[in-house]
Amino acid sequence: MLLQQILNGLTAGSVYALIALGYTMIYGILGLINFAQGELYMAGAFATVLLLTAYKVNFFVAFFFGMGVAAVLGVILERIAFRPLRGGHPLVPLISAIGASIFLQSLALLLFGPADRSFPIQFEFAALEIAGVSVSTLQLAIFGAALFFMALLVAFVKYTKFGKAIMATALDQDTARLMGINVDRMIAITFFIGSALSGAAGIMMAIYYNTTYPRMGLLPGLKAFSAAVLGGVGNIPGAIVGGLLLGVAENLGAGYLSSGYKDAVAFAILIIVLLVRPKGLLGGRSH
Amino acid sequence: MTEYFLHIAIISGLYIILALSLNLIIGYCGQVSLGHAAFYGLGAYTSALITIHWQVSFFLALPVAAVVAALFGLGLGIPTLRLKDDYLAIVTLGFGVIVDLILLNLDVTGGPDGLARIPPPRLGGIDFRDKVWYLLLVALVVAFTLGLISRLVHSRHGRALKAIRDHEITARVMGINASAYKISIFTLAAGLAGLAGSLYAHYITFINPESFGLHTSILVLTMVVLGGMGSILGSVVGAGVLTILPELFRRFADYQDLAYGAMLIALLIWRPQGLLGSGKISRKFSLAKNRAKKER
Repeated sequence: MLLQQILNGLTAGSVYALIALGYTMIYGILGLINFAQGELYMAGAFATVLLLTAYKVNFFVAFFFGMGVAAVLGVILERIAFRPLRGGHPLVPLISAIGASIFLQSLALLLFGPADRSFPIQFEFAALEIAGVSVSTLQLAIFGAALFFMALLVAFVKYTKFGKAIMATALDQDTARLMGINVDRMIAITFFIGSALSGAAGIMMAIYYNTTYPRMGLLPGLKAFSAAVLGGVGNIPGAIVGGLLLGVAENLGAGYLSSGYKDAVAFAILIIVLLVRPKGLLGGRSH
Repeated sequence: MTEYFLHIAIISGLYIILALSLNLIIGYCGQVSLGHAAFYGLGAYTSALITIHWQVSFFLALPVAAVVAALFGLGLGIPTLRLKDDYLAIVTLGFGVIVDLILLNLDVTGGPDGLARIPPPRLGGIDFRDKVWYLLLVALVVAFTLGLISRLVHSRHGRALKAIRDHEITARVMGINASAYKISIFTLAAGLAGLAGSLYAHYITFINPESFGLHTSILVLTMVVLGGMGSILGSVVGAGVLTILPELFRRFADYQDLAYGAMLIALLIWRPQGLLGSGKISRKFSLAKNRAKKER
């Protein structure tokens, strides 16, 4: 039972971690909580579902299409809603992000309607039995894919020129500019990557829960933010650890306390972290 | 027809209280609350429950609603406003979701059906089901809110708050306890929202969680930004405009949230001081611009 809950938690947690990475990278570079992160998650899921409904394309093509749509939307968002406001009081881009979030959410509601959509492809997933715990291959696939994307991101940031330039921009924009780094481009790339990861997370959850709807991004967005704070905002390994821990905590809370208040666990964790250790488990950077 | 105009006036009054109190948080804490509708809802439910179950008079329930909402504000403000980072928006967003969840799941709040038959206020021979009397009541509370806020802003504490707003580090050096001030302001704003909630519940006499969701918080935020962040008169005008406009454009009701989202972004880019902002806030933002660069 305990192992089962932990396993289910790790699956959801790996998806939270993907969204949390987007939050943390954007916070790291701009000091901005991107409220529209949950809407990019929703956009990725919708793009994939709609493409698969309309055309019989390969699943992986649709998956990368969804990620691409989320990524491009993220870059457009940065260009329209954040770049003109950069350098002002932090309150201003924050309110702009809230505006963007509600705009995208109601746009999706108008375009696609409020109804749940099921995922157009039915996968044949086997249930495995490992040490008395049942695991579906779907869970393993989600967990594996999430880990793959995380590894890719960490490698990108650590070992490529662009990744190092992003880190430099996050540390000190002016100095980065003096070193010949195109700061605007680094911010755009950060949005591109963070949004693509959120889009991937949205597609995985659309398959896992078999629903896609305009408000699907609100709760995962909130939970992923809690995960980012838990790990330490601005800290990439922190977002991964925070996401996994939060997923597990949420499932244990639902299993042993009350399933009705499952969604409240993330919020309780957020408040406790802010009270006890505001810089997060692995230590974040304050802006 | 008169009935209809009275109704609009009463609803405007409630939104004026909400916008004024949110403006306190934005103008003096420099942070955004996305849970303002949740405090509004807490006030409404508190007041409705104690008048229904304990037959408490409305005039006692009104301050109790404010105190309950304020206590929740205090509970949220303490962990959040002590910190340097801008976590208030997301913490209050989460708070709104949780309050919604609790109102939907508890038996005592009637779940999604909400509470019905909330008694309208009575005082002596006056029956407040008459909209003229209710408007008078709302106008009194609006006047009280306006008076309280302008007294506060022009007092010693108001000057301390301005010092914090303009340069927090300098204010701290002068011995002003910035966190304590921010937490007090947030608590006060939550209490005022509770007051508005109580007035709403006893006016409509039927409440359900739907009225107190994120949509309402965003609406109030748009009112504040439209009127001008930090401007008292601006909040009054912003609340009035955004109560009346949707009435004129009923046909486009589906596009409301879309319009609010676009309006927030457009206003911040082209007119950050809003309709009536005196430029103080925009100057503050330009001051903050230089400061942000230096500190980085």
